[in-house]
Amino acid sequence: MEELNPETWVKDYGDYLYGYAYSRMRDANAAEDVLQETLLAGVKYSGQYAGKGSVRGWLIAILKRKIIDHFRSRKKHAGASFGDEDDAFDPSTVLFDQQGNWKPGTFKWAPSPENNLETSELSDIVQDCLKGIPKGHADVFVLSVMEEMDSAAICEQLNITPSNMWVRMHRARLGLAKCVSEKWGVEVDHA
Amino acid sequence: MPDDREISELISQSMRKRLSDKEEKQIEESVGENEESRKLAALSKRINDSVSGITPDENTESKVPLPADVRARLSDTVSCAVKEKLSLPTAGLISDSRAAADTSQFEVDPTRSLDDYKEIVIRFQRIRKLATGGAGEVWVARDEKLGRSVVIKELNSQAKESSQAWDRFQREAEITGLLEHPNIVPFYAFGVDRRTGEPFYAMRFVGRRTLANAIEEYHDRAKAGRADGLSLHRLLNIFLDVCQAIAYAHSRGVIHRDLKPENVAIDNFGQVVVLDWGLAKVMEESELALKLNDNCNMTDSSLMCTTHGEVIGTPVYMSPEQASGKVDLIDTRTDVYGLGGILFSMLTGKAPHVGFADGKNSKFSEVVTKIADASTPMPSDFVKVAADLEAICVRALSRKRHLRFDSAAELAEAVENWMAGQSNKKIGYEKLRMEGREMRADMQSQVHDLERNVSFCSSLPPVQELIKAESDEDQKVWRKRMSTILVGLMEANPGYESLTYGKFEDDSSYTEIVKVAKHKGPTKAIRTMPKSRLKTEKQSDFLLKVADGLPGELLTALVCEDESEDGCGNFSLQSGIPVYDQETEEVFGFIVATRDICQILEQQLGRRHTAREIIVASDRFNIISQKVDGQLCEDNRGQNTAHTAPAFTAAIEHLQNNLDFNDDSNSEIYGARIWFDPGKNGLMFLLKH
Repeated sequence: MEELNPETWVKDYGDYLYGYAYSRMRDANAAEDVLQETLLAGVKYSGQYAGKGSVRGWLIAILKRKIIDHFRSRKKHAGASFGDEDDAFDPSTVLFDQQGNWKPGTFKWAPSPENNLETSELSDIVQDCLKGIPKGHADVFVLSVMEEMDSAAICEQLNITPSNMWVRMHRARLGLAKCVSEKWGVEVDHA
Repeated sequence: MPDDREISELISQSMRKRLSDKEEKQIEESVGENEESRKLAALSKRINDSVSGITPDENTESKVPLPADVRARLSDTVSCAVKEKLSLPTAGLISDSRAAADTSQFEVDPTRSLDDYKEIVIRFQRIRKLATGGAGEVWVARDEKLGRSVVIKELNSQAKESSQAWDRFQREAEITGLLEHPNIVPFYAFGVDRRTGEPFYAMRFVGRRTLANAIEEYHDRAKAGRADGLSLHRLLNIFLDVCQAIAYAHSRGVIHRDLKPENVAIDNFGQVVVLDWGLAKVMEESELALKLNDNCNMTDSSLMCTTHGEVIGTPVYMSPEQASGKVDLIDTRTDVYGLGGILFSMLTGKAPHVGFADGKNSKFSEVVTKIADASTPMPSDFVKVAADLEAICVRALSRKRHLRFDSAAELAEAVENWMAGQSNKKIGYEKLRMEGREMRADMQSQVHDLERNVSFCSSLPPVQELIKAESDEDQKVWRKRMSTILVGLMEANPGYESLTYGKFEDDSSYTEIVKVAKHKGPTKAIRTMPKSRLKTEKQSDFLLKVADGLPGELLTALVCEDESEDGCGNFSLQSGIPVYDQETEEVFGFIVATRDICQILEQQLGRRHTAREIIVASDRFNIISQKVDGQLCEDNRGQNTAHTAPAFTAAIEHLQNNLDFNDDSNSEIYGARIWFDPGKNGLMFLLKH
C-alpha cells in the first residue's frame, strides 16, 4: 500500500494535476483554485484513502469532483447574464442563410488523409478554441467529450434539461468546428 | 428532406446519440452531396478524437506547467493543512479497558504561541453497546474526567471501508453539533481516536426509551381497554416537541430525512430529544451550509448532495419523493411527511407503509417502488380515530408536497388547535351525554309511574268485587266506585289516554268492564264509558302477553296505533297487568293504562339542550320524535332512521346490544337505550352536537 505523504504531493503530482485541471478549466486561476481544493480535501480525508489505487489516481478522482463543483458553482453564481451570453452565441446565424442552407465557404479547411496533422497539435487548437466559446457551452463539451460523462449525469450536475444540454453541445460543436477550421487552416498555410 | 441547419444538428447528435435509420440515411445523403456538411462531420469527429478523455502526458514535460509561485503557495497551504489536521483540538481516546490514557501532547503551529491553545484529552470508556445501525455503532460510555454517562457514536467496521460513510459521519457530527435546541440531542465532543485515527462523537445519554416504546405502550393499553384521552394527549404533546425541534432545524437549513418514532428519545424526565441526524441534508443556500463549508474549507459535492436516484431513509416512513429517488424534490416538506408518519404511528400503532414491507421476502427496491406509487394511507383503515385529527395526519402525508402543511410549525399548530378544541369538545360532549341520560332517566321515571298506577288499580277492591258480583245492581255499584277512582287517577296524570279494566272472554277476545278515557277532541275531557259503549274486541298482541303474565306481573310496551307499510307513525305507551280471580286463582282479566308517548317526548324535547339534533326512535327504527336546531320537527315522524338520519347509523347498530353509545373518536354523537321489555321493546335516544 502506497503511503500518503501530503507534503510531497505538490512536488510529485503538481504539474500533472494542474495540467489536467487547466485542460478542463481553460483558466489558470480556476485551475489553481480547484487544485488547491483538491489537495486540501486530500489532506482532510486522507484517512479514507484505501490504498487500492495510486495516490495520483485518488487525487485525480477528487480533482474531477472539484472541477464539476466548479462548473456548477460557476453556472449558479453567473446568474441571468450567463444564460443570456449562452443564448446570444449561436454560430448558426453565421453558418446558415435564412433558408437554413450552408453559406458558401463556411469551413475554410477540412481534414483529409493527405493533410493530417498530429492529434496533439489539433488538441492544442481545440483547447484554444474552447476559450472562445461561451463557458456554459464549453463546460458541457468538456464534461461530455473530455470527461466522457453521460448526458443524464451532465444534466444533473449542471442542473440543466436534456434539451438545453443538446442545444449547448450542438452550438459548441459548430463553434469549435468553425474556429478549428480557421485556425488550422492558418497554421497549415504557414507550414 | 431536412435543410442544412437540421442536418448539422443531426451530425452533432450522431457523435453521441443513437439516431434512427432514417436520420442516419439523411446524414449520409447530405454528407455525400454537400461539401460543408461533409466538412462539419469530419471536423467534429477529429475534434472529438483529439480531446476525448485526454489527460496530460506524464512522460513528457507538461505543456502547462505549474507556475512556480503557485507551486510555492500550494506547498505552504498543504503543509498548514497537515499540521492543522494533526492538532485537532477535540482529539480524544476511546478505551476498551481501564488502561491508562495516552496523554501525549498535540502538535501545534510553531508560528503561534502556546498560550493560544487550550488542549484537552477526553477519555471515554465504552460500557455497553446500545445499537448497531447501517454505518455506525452506538455505545453507552463513561466520560472519565466528568464521571458522567455519555453516548458515543462511531463507524462500524464495514463503514470504515467506505469513504461516503466517513463523509456522512463527519457531516452528521457537524450538523448535530451546530443544532442547539432543547429537543435536539446535546452534543459534547467530536474527535478522532488518537490510537486508531477513527472518528467518533459524544452526546448526552438520554436513555433507551424512545417514542416507539411509548406508542407501543399506548396501543397495548388501548387494546386492554385501559387507554384514555389523556394518554393520546401525552403522545401528542411529545409530537409537538418533535415538530418544534424539526421547525428549528429547518430554520437552520437542515432537513432530517429519517423521521420515525425510533429516532425520538424520551428521557427519564420526559424530555423529548430528536436523534440521528446521519441522513440529514443541509440546504445549499442556508447559513449552516456556509458555516459547514467554511469549516471544511471546501465545497464537497458528495456531502452537500445526494446522488440522483439514491433512496435514503427508512422505507416504512419514507415520503414518495424519497422512495422514487427524486432527490431534487426533497425539502422541508419531506420532513413534514416524516412527521405525518410519526403522527400516523401514534394514532394506529403502525408505520404508514408497514403494509408494503410485511413480507419476509420483500425486496428493498420493490418496497420503495410500491411506496412511491401508493396512495395516502388512512389511519381509519386501522383504528377508530377522530375525523379531524385524521384529516391533519392525512394532509401531512399527502403524496403531493404542495398539499402538505407548508412547515413543521404549521403542522404543530394544527395539532395544538385540535388538542385545545378537543378539550372544549370533551366538555361539550359530557353535557350531551348528560342530556341523553337525563332523557332516558325521565322516561324510566314516567314508565315507573305508569306501572305503579296500573299496579295500584289492580289492587282496588272493586276489581275482585266485580268478579264476584252476580247481580246487575252489584255490578253497577262496583263499576261506579271503580270508575270514580280511575277518573281521579286520570285527572292526576294528564298524559294518560285511558284506563281500562277488561275481562278475557276466551283465548282471543276480551270485554271492557270499566273504561275511563280522555276525549280526543280539544277539550280533553275525561269520561267514563257508559255500559252500552263498552266493547268486546279481539285481543291485541300486547293483551295476549298480559294474559300470560303471573299475578302482579307488569308489562309495558310501545304499541303501534297506526301501522302502515313504511312503519308506524303513531305510538302509545301501554302498561298492563293481569287480574286473577282470588277464589279460583285463574286469570280473569286485565288492567291497562295507555299513555301518550308523544306528550312525554314533547315535554322532554321542549327543554333547552346543547344537542343540535335529538331523535327518539323505536326498535323498528321509526322516528317518534325529532328536534333540530331547537325546533320540534314532525316532518320525519314515522320515517325510517336509515333514510332520514344516516349520521346515527353506527349508534343505532351499537344500541341493539348496548345501553349506551359513546363516540370516543369524534365526541359528536351520543346514544342511550331504554328497554321496556328487556331485550325486546324499547326506545333509543340519539343526540348529536
